[in-house]
Amino acid sequence: MKKLLAVLLAFGLLAPAVAWAEEKAASPKEFVIYADKNAKDNHYIPSGWMGDYGDIKMNDQAATNPHSGTSCIEFVYSAKKSQTQGWAGVYWQNPANNWGNKKGGYDLTGMTKLTFWARGAKGGEVLQKVMVGGIKGTYPDTTAVEMGPVELTDTWKQYTVNLVGKDLTYINGGFCWTTTADLNPNGATFYIDDVKFEADPNLKPEGRKIQEMPFYIYADRSSVANHFIPSGWMGDYGDIKYDGASKEDAYLGDTCVKIIYSGKATQGARWAGIFWQNPANNWGTTDAGFDLSKATKFTFYARGDKGGERIEEFKVGGIMGEFSDSDSATIGPVILNKEWTQYTIDLKGKDMSYIIGGFAWATNVDNNPEGATFYLDELKFE
Amino acid sequence: MLVACLFLFTFLFSACYAAKPSVYIQKLKNNHYRLMVAGKPYIVKGVCYNPIPIGMDYDYDWWNDPAKPWITDGKMMKEMGINTIRLYQVGRDPQAVKQVINDFYKLYGIRVLLGDWLGFWEYPCPFYGDDKFQEKVVKQVVEMVNLYKEEPGVLGWILGNENNYSCLGHVNPWSNPEVDAETDPQKQKLMRAKIYYSFVNKISQEIHKIDPHHPVGLGNGELVGLDSAAKYCQDVDFVACIIYRGKTFGNLFKSLRMTFDKPLLLAEFGADCYDANLKKEDQNMQAFFLESQWMQIYENLANTKTGEGNCLGGTIFEWTDEWWKHAPDYPDGWKIHDTESSWSNGSYYFDIQALGNKNMNEEWFGLVAISEEMVNGLNKRTPRKAYYVIREFWKNPVTKKPAAKKSR
Repeated sequence: MKKLLAVLLAFGLLAPAVAWAEEKAASPKEFVIYADKNAKDNHYIPSGWMGDYGDIKMNDQAATNPHSGTSCIEFVYSAKKSQTQGWAGVYWQNPANNWGNKKGGYDLTGMTKLTFWARGAKGGEVLQKVMVGGIKGTYPDTTAVEMGPVELTDTWKQYTVNLVGKDLTYINGGFCWTTTADLNPNGATFYIDDVKFEADPNLKPEGRKIQEMPFYIYADRSSVANHFIPSGWMGDYGDIKYDGASKEDAYLGDTCVKIIYSGKATQGARWAGIFWQNPANNWGTTDAGFDLSKATKFTFYARGDKGGERIEEFKVGGIMGEFSDSDSATIGPVILNKEWTQYTIDLKGKDMSYIIGGFAWATNVDNNPEGATFYLDELKFE
Repeated sequence: MLVACLFLFTFLFSACYAAKPSVYIQKLKNNHYRLMVAGKPYIVKGVCYNPIPIGMDYDYDWWNDPAKPWITDGKMMKEMGINTIRLYQVGRDPQAVKQVINDFYKLYGIRVLLGDWLGFWEYPCPFYGDDKFQEKVVKQVVEMVNLYKEEPGVLGWILGNENNYSCLGHVNPWSNPEVDAETDPQKQKLMRAKIYYSFVNKISQEIHKIDPHHPVGLGNGELVGLDSAAKYCQDVDFVACIIYRGKTFGNLFKSLRMTFDKPLLLAEFGADCYDANLKKEDQNMQAFFLESQWMQIYENLANTKTGEGNCLGGTIFEWTDEWWKHAPDYPDGWKIHDTESSWSNGSYYFDIQALGNKNMNEEWFGLVAISEEMVNGLNKRTPRKAYYVIREFWKNPVTKKPAAKKSR
């Protein structure tokens, strides 16, 4: 009986220790995406080439000045717009080319951040954003976290994507970068190394940062100060042509936004418009956006090609979805002048703490039977 | 002496009591607003009521329906906890209207908010900029107030519904020579808003002259135009907003404080129960949105710690489905419970992936479904899940629990 007791006692003492050891073994401190070419710990494949994929060249065993080990990944982005998209990017997927159509994601629960090292060939190269997760499809990632824009220096620098509190139970898109021709008009050569998820128990969740003013939506085509993406094309989207780098008499800087609305009612809606969103195509489906609580007004310059073009509404906020904008404010209808004119949307008393839809315009064929060509510049919260 | 004192006390007390309106809104020291009815705080736990039977349209005179739908409905409402109904426009027969008001109140203790469209649906448009049109509408409203102000079941008056959208030219656009002379469309909008809200203010003043015992509400779509109302419509007692913002009302309560600091009644809100994406009824979806909305209403009632304290309650849209609404011009369609969506609202996000993002099903907003089976001369009523969920919420209004994801 005593022997049995001793065995039970020993088992009782040992069992938690064994369980703890197993737990330790099941909770690794890091999960590597890229350490070196052919490193056995590497996960995910940089297979998801997007946008102007013809503009991208990749060398995943670049031996010139890696951050550590023997190699790093070199990307050369030509900004030639081979597929006429104006942007490009690469997703690291598992298995290769998995856009959510098959199971393959990893359970990365316990990881709290993704870190990577990067440098530009010259310095000044800009990544529009880096992302973890965000692939949709039949087997969607359980989270989408983005960080950026990132302006690279010509020396190695480590960057971190905070993942505390994010649901990492299924991640097929382990890592992703995107950039645009506007941000890198002459292309960009940059290097990435030592990409990995890490479990940092001391890392705190990233609070929503209250943005400082002025907060630009559009300053100039290549400006890293730009925020929000003109991705929400509405109504007769086939009637719209958007040029974010027009050099036709910009109000300030080198470029302005040029919009041609044909008024052909291509989709039969008889109206059209564009929402600038964060992230792109976020109609309130993704918890994102910016805290613009300090903004008391939104200002922008606009002019019509001929003068007399009528824009029904200029708007800030107002996207409604699972994650709705905290407020909205509008002006309009506005009849544009041929000369640059500054317009102001008053935000005093508005709750701008959660803004996904930074800016929008909308017009219609009834008031512009011949269509409308107009220009926008210096779109900013103040 | 004692008798004389008692007599004097009784007289004074009666005089004081009589001077107090039977229904009024109190502004508390903390600037919160509270509706008072018969001397007690009153939270409007209401529903919009328009019991159109299958096969009929909005023109049906249900007030004279021999089956008396309000008797059946009032009983179910009382069991749910409803204390108020909102009627958009009174019927043509005053005796029938009085009967309905009295039956609701005397049988079930349910009070009524009586409304008037203010000529919003008149052909070709509501000429708010025309003096004769204004006079006609004022006369009509004053007549309504005179007819029903003595009925004990009356809770208040609501002027218009979403008429403010006509000032933007979105619905039933109207103008007058003065507005037409202005070339700047933004200024035109403001001119129309000034005309409309001044007009509503005038009606409110007229009502107050003849009925000091019931508050007057401004029916308003969203908060659109209330910056103009703040200038021209200060004589209304509360704002009766029509709001469809899905899971929450967002900044509504705070924003109203900032623009037009009046008590707020959520006069029309809710959710449909048809999943336009999966093409099937989804009562969970409706119940989820309604419970979440009521939590926010309660968070913003008077004397709550974190809310704005400017909410008086709400009237859910609506009691029963109305089968005529999707195709009002086609009588054959009034007999069909149409599943085609007619508008899009991303706030009701569960079915926003429907074709063309059209996810709102106008004929599926009822807390109670109706069917072609007849019971006591009425379409059979079947409460939906939201009926029970809100009933339980009102019994135990817990506002702090996080709104859970809809369970399917």
